[in-house]
Amino acid sequence: MNELDGRPDPNALLADIQTQQDNHSGKLKIFFGYAAGVGKTYAMLDDAQEQYRMGKDVLVGYVEPHTRPETLQLLQGLPSLAPKSVFYRNIELKEFDLDTALSRRPELILVDELAHTNAEGVRNRKRFQDIEELLNAGIDVYTTVNVQHIESLNDVIEGITGVRVKETVPDSIFDRAEKIKLIDIEPDELLRRFEDGKIYKPERAQTAMNNFFTRENLKLLREIAMRKATDRISNENQNERRTTEKMANTKMLVCIGPSPSSAKCIRWTARAAEAFHAQWVALYVESADSEHLTLQQQKILRENMDLAEKLGAEIVSIAGHEIAISVSEYAKLSGITNIVVGKSRNKKTLKNLFDMDFEDKLISLLPSIEVHIIPGATARRDYKKPRKTIWKSKVDFSWADCAKTAILLVAATLVSLGLRMVGIGNQNIIMTYILSVLVVSRITKGHIFGIIASVASVLSFNFFFTEPMYTFNAIQAGYPITFLIMLVVALITSTLTVRIKTQAKLAVQRERRTEVLYEINKKLLVNRGLENIISLTNAYIVNLFERSVVFFPSDPEAGIEGSVMQADKDADEAVLNSKDEKAVAHWVFVNQKRAGAGTDTLMGAVGFYMPVTSQGKVLAVLGISCTKGPLSHGTRQFLRMIASQVAMALERQHLSDEQRNILVDAEKEKMRSNLLRAIAHDLRTPLAGILGASSAIRENTKTLDEGTRDKLNADIQEEAQWLIRMVENLLSVTRINEGESKVNKNPEAAEEVVAEAVSRIRKRFPNHRVEVSVPDELLEVPMDGTLIAQVLINLLENAVKHSPETSPVEVKLRKNGDSAVFEVSDHGKGIAEEDFPYLFTSYVPNGTKSPDSSRGMGIGLSICMTIIKAHNGTMEAANRKEGGAVFKFTLPLEGSE
Amino acid sequence: MVKPTILVIEDEEAICNFITAILNSNGYQVIKTGTGKEGLSMAASYSPDVILLDLGLPDVDGVEILKSIREWSKIPVVVVSARGHEREKVEALDLGADDYIVKPFGTSELLARIRTALRHSPQSMGAQAQGEKTMTIGELRIDYEKRSVFLGGKAVHLTPVEYKILALLSKNAGKVLTHDYIMKEIWGLYAGDSHTLRVNMANIRRKLELNPGSPKYILTEMGVGYRMVEELEI
Repeated sequence: MNELDGRPDPNALLADIQTQQDNHSGKLKIFFGYAAGVGKTYAMLDDAQEQYRMGKDVLVGYVEPHTRPETLQLLQGLPSLAPKSVFYRNIELKEFDLDTALSRRPELILVDELAHTNAEGVRNRKRFQDIEELLNAGIDVYTTVNVQHIESLNDVIEGITGVRVKETVPDSIFDRAEKIKLIDIEPDELLRRFEDGKIYKPERAQTAMNNFFTRENLKLLREIAMRKATDRISNENQNERRTTEKMANTKMLVCIGPSPSSAKCIRWTARAAEAFHAQWVALYVESADSEHLTLQQQKILRENMDLAEKLGAEIVSIAGHEIAISVSEYAKLSGITNIVVGKSRNKKTLKNLFDMDFEDKLISLLPSIEVHIIPGATARRDYKKPRKTIWKSKVDFSWADCAKTAILLVAATLVSLGLRMVGIGNQNIIMTYILSVLVVSRITKGHIFGIIASVASVLSFNFFFTEPMYTFNAIQAGYPITFLIMLVVALITSTLTVRIKTQAKLAVQRERRTEVLYEINKKLLVNRGLENIISLTNAYIVNLFERSVVFFPSDPEAGIEGSVMQADKDADEAVLNSKDEKAVAHWVFVNQKRAGAGTDTLMGAVGFYMPVTSQGKVLAVLGISCTKGPLSHGTRQFLRMIASQVAMALERQHLSDEQRNILVDAEKEKMRSNLLRAIAHDLRTPLAGILGASSAIRENTKTLDEGTRDKLNADIQEEAQWLIRMVENLLSVTRINEGESKVNKNPEAAEEVVAEAVSRIRKRFPNHRVEVSVPDELLEVPMDGTLIAQVLINLLENAVKHSPETSPVEVKLRKNGDSAVFEVSDHGKGIAEEDFPYLFTSYVPNGTKSPDSSRGMGIGLSICMTIIKAHNGTMEAANRKEGGAVFKFTLPLEGSE
Repeated sequence: MVKPTILVIEDEEAICNFITAILNSNGYQVIKTGTGKEGLSMAASYSPDVILLDLGLPDVDGVEILKSIREWSKIPVVVVSARGHEREKVEALDLGADDYIVKPFGTSELLARIRTALRHSPQSMGAQAQGEKTMTIGELRIDYEKRSVFLGGKAVHLTPVEYKILALLSKNAGKVLTHDYIMKEIWGLYAGDSHTLRVNMANIRRKLELNPGSPKYILTEMGVGYRMVEELEI
C-alpha cells in the first residue's frame, strides 16, 4: 500500500473536527455481542450506572423487559422514560418515546436493541433512525446489537445458521459509533445459561435451541463478531476511516436484477469493497423486458437498488438489449477491475444448449477483468426472459398493422404475377416475397405480423407460382427450405426492429431528461430572485412528473408557507401546506434526510420530501405529492439532480443578496462619516469663541470694564446656546432608527408642537417678534412631537438670525387636503441663489464661502430634511415676493401603518 | 424667617456648584451630595423642604431614589433630566415627583420651579385654607364655589369636562401634570388614549387664549403633560 497516497489531508481533518464540534453530534457506544444472552444489556447498564455515579445526566430510554434478575437490578436507581403506548390492530405495543427523549435532552440515554423495528404509527420505521435523531440532537447514546443484525453480514449468517434475520441495521450506523464494546463469553457458558433458562422463557427455549443455539453456530457467530470488531480496530489504527480517497486500483461492479439472489451478490460486493477499500458500482441493465416485469419483480428490484445504495454503492442504470454486451461496454468505459455476478442453476433447455453462460460471455468480452461468481440459492433464471410476460406482449393486436400486412402481401403477389408475365423466373418472385416479409416486419409492431406475413407469402407463392398452379401442394423439394428461410428472415427482421425501437425509446427518454436538466440549469443561471427560482423549479417538476409540488424556502416551522404548484388531478395547496405535511417538511429540514411517502420515515405523509442541501447546510425542502403512487428509483435520482441545481441557484441568490447588503452598509457608513465630519467642522467655531471669551475674562479681570465683561459673557452664553441646539439636533437624528428611517409616530396636536417651539424661541430671543397662526379646528397629526418641534426651532432660529429684530417672524399652520402644512417665514435678506441646491444637504461648500457665514444653515437644515423625510413629508424653501425667505414643510395626516 | 433647606442630589460638580451659588444667593440653604445613597440618608436626617434630584446618578437610578423617598415622605421633589428623555420624566412624575427641570436650564427657570415646589409642599398646603374659593391668574378668574370662569370680566362657557380639567390645572398651578394623571383624575382608571384629552385641551385653549398657537395660561410640556402658569409672563 502506498502510504503517501493514503495520508489524510490535514485540512480535511481540521474541517472534520470543526464540523463535529459545530454540529455537536452525540457519541454512540454500541455493546456488541454474537448472540442473545451474552450480557450486552447487563454491560450497558453497568456502564451507565458508573456514569450516573460520576454525575452524568443519564436516562434509560428503553430497555427490553428481561427476566434476568441481575439485569433488572441494575436498572434500579437510574431515571427512566415511560414507554409510549402505540395501538396496532387493537394490541397495545410499548415503544420508545423519542419525542419526550428529545425534549428532555439528557446527556446520555440508553436505548436497547438497535435493530428493532418500530410499530406502525411511530415516526421512524426503525429504531436506529430514532437513535440517529438522538445523536443529531447532541445526546450520547448507548445501545446493544447482535452480529446477525448487521446488514452486510446478514446473508453470511443466514448461510451458517439457516435462520434469516429480518431486522437489519445498516453498516453506516455501526461505523458511525464512537466506541464498540465487544461482549464475549465462551459458547459453552452461553449454552449453560440457556439451559438454565436465563435467556428465553423456558417454553420457547426448545425451538430456539434447535434452530439457533447449537455449539457450531455459536462458535461461528462468535468468530464473525470478533472479526467485525477487529476490522474496526484495524481501520482505526490505520486511520483509514479518515481517508476520502479510495484506492484507485480496484473498482468493483455488481449486476443487479429483479431476483432475490441479487441481494446476496450485493452484500458480498459490499464486504469485498470494504476489504479492498474500493469503490463499487451496482449496475442495472434496462432492456425491453424491463417494461414487462411483474409487480413483484419490480418491488424486488427496487429493494435491491435501495440495499446497494444503503451499503454505499453508486447506482447506475443503462439501457441495452444484450446484457452481457452492455455490461462489458460499461465496464470498459468506467475502468472496472472486478465484476460480481450471481450464478443460478438453470434448467438445460434446447435453447440454452447453444447459448454461452452469462459469465462465459463476460469473460470472453472482457478478458482482463476478474469475474466473481456467487452461487445463488434459487433456481430462478436471472438473465433469461421471464417467459410469461413476453408472450403477452406479442399478442398486441392492431388493425392498422393487419391492414398494412394485407396490402403488402397483395402488392407482392401482384408484382410477382407481373414479373411472371414478363417472364422473369421464380427466383425473383421468391425474392419479391422475401422483400415483402422484410418490409412487413419493419413497419409493424411485434413479431406476430412478420410471422403471419411469412406464412402467407409461402402459401401464396405455393398457390400462385408453383406447380401445380392454384393449389396448395408443394411438389419441389426446395420449397420447405424456402418457407423456412422466409420464416427466419421474418423473425430476425422483426426482432431487430423491436430491439431498435425499444432502444430508441429508451434513448429518447434519457435524452429528454438530460435536455430538461440542461434547460433547468440554463434558466436558473439567468433567473434572479427567490420567487423566480421557486416558480421555475415548481413548473418544471410539475411538467416532468405530472405531480403537485411544494417548495419550502426555509424552515416550515418558521411559519412561511411553501409555494405550491398543482398538477392536474393531484393534491392541492390546502393539502400540501397543511400542518401535518409541514411537520414532515420540518423534520426533513432539521435532519437533512428525505422522508415521507415511500421512505422509512413518516411514511404516512401525502408527499415525498427531500432536502435541498449545499455544503452540509439545508437550504430548502422540496416535496412531491405521491397520491398517484410512490416515486420510482429513476425519478428519485432525477429529482436529486434537479435539487443540486436548485441548491446552486439558491446559494448564488443568497450570495448576491449578501453582496447587496454589504454595499448598502458601505453607503451608510460613508454617509455617517460625512455627517460626522461636517458636524465636527461646525462645532469648532463656537467652541473657539467660548474659550476665547472666557480666557479673556479670567486673564484680564483688572483691565476689563463692566460693559465689556458683560458683552463677553453674553457671547459665551450665545455660543453655548448654539452648541446646545446643535447637540439637540444630533440627538434627534439618533432617534430615527438606523437605516430604516422610521420614526415613532403618535397623534399629536400640531398647535401644541408649534407652541412649544415658539415658547423656546421666545425664551432665547425675547426681543424678537414671533407671530403664530393656527387653524380653528384642532389638527391632530401623527408625528414624533419632539422631532418636529426640533425642526420648527431650527427654522425659527434661522429666521430670527437672518432678519432684523424689528421684523416679525411668522409661523403658520394649516390643513391642506390630507396633509398638514407648516410655514415659517421672515422678512430678512432671503436665500442666495447659489445656496439653493445645497440648502438641505450637509454639504459644506469648500473654499468659496467662509464657514462662518454658512453656519446656522448647513447641518441644521439637512437634519430637518431627514426628520421630515422620515415622516414621509416634504420640505421646501423659497424667497418671498415681499422680501425674506419662507420655509414650508408638510406632514401626512393619516397614520402610515 | 427660617431659610428653606434644599437638598441637591447631583453628581456633576460644575452643575452642582452653580445651582448652589444661585440658591444661596436667593435665600435658600443648600445641602448637596453626589451619590444617591448618600442623598437618601441625608434626606432622612436633614429633612429638607425641597429635593432636587438628578435622574442620571452614578450609583443608583434616580427613579429608585424617588420611590424610596416617597415610601416615607411627601417632600416635594423636582427631578433634573436631559432633553429627549421624556419617558424618564413622565415615569418620575407618575411615581411621585412634583416637577421637572431640563438640562441645560437657566437661573430663573430653576428658581421658579423651586418656588412652585415649596408652595405645593404639604406644610404650605396645610397652611392654606382647604377650600380655596377663587383663583386669579392674569385676566383669568376661576370661582370654585360657583363653578364659573371669567376672562377679563367676561364669562367663559365651559363644558363640565373642560371645567374639571381647568380646575385641576389651576389648583396645581405651576406644577406640571402628566397626561395620565389628568386622565385618571377626570375620567378614571380606564380612560384609554389621550386623544379625548387633547381635543378638550384644544377647546379650552380656544376659549381662553387670545392666540391658541401661542398660549399664555396653559402651557404644553411636549411629551409630558400640561401646566398652568402661576403668573402671566409679559
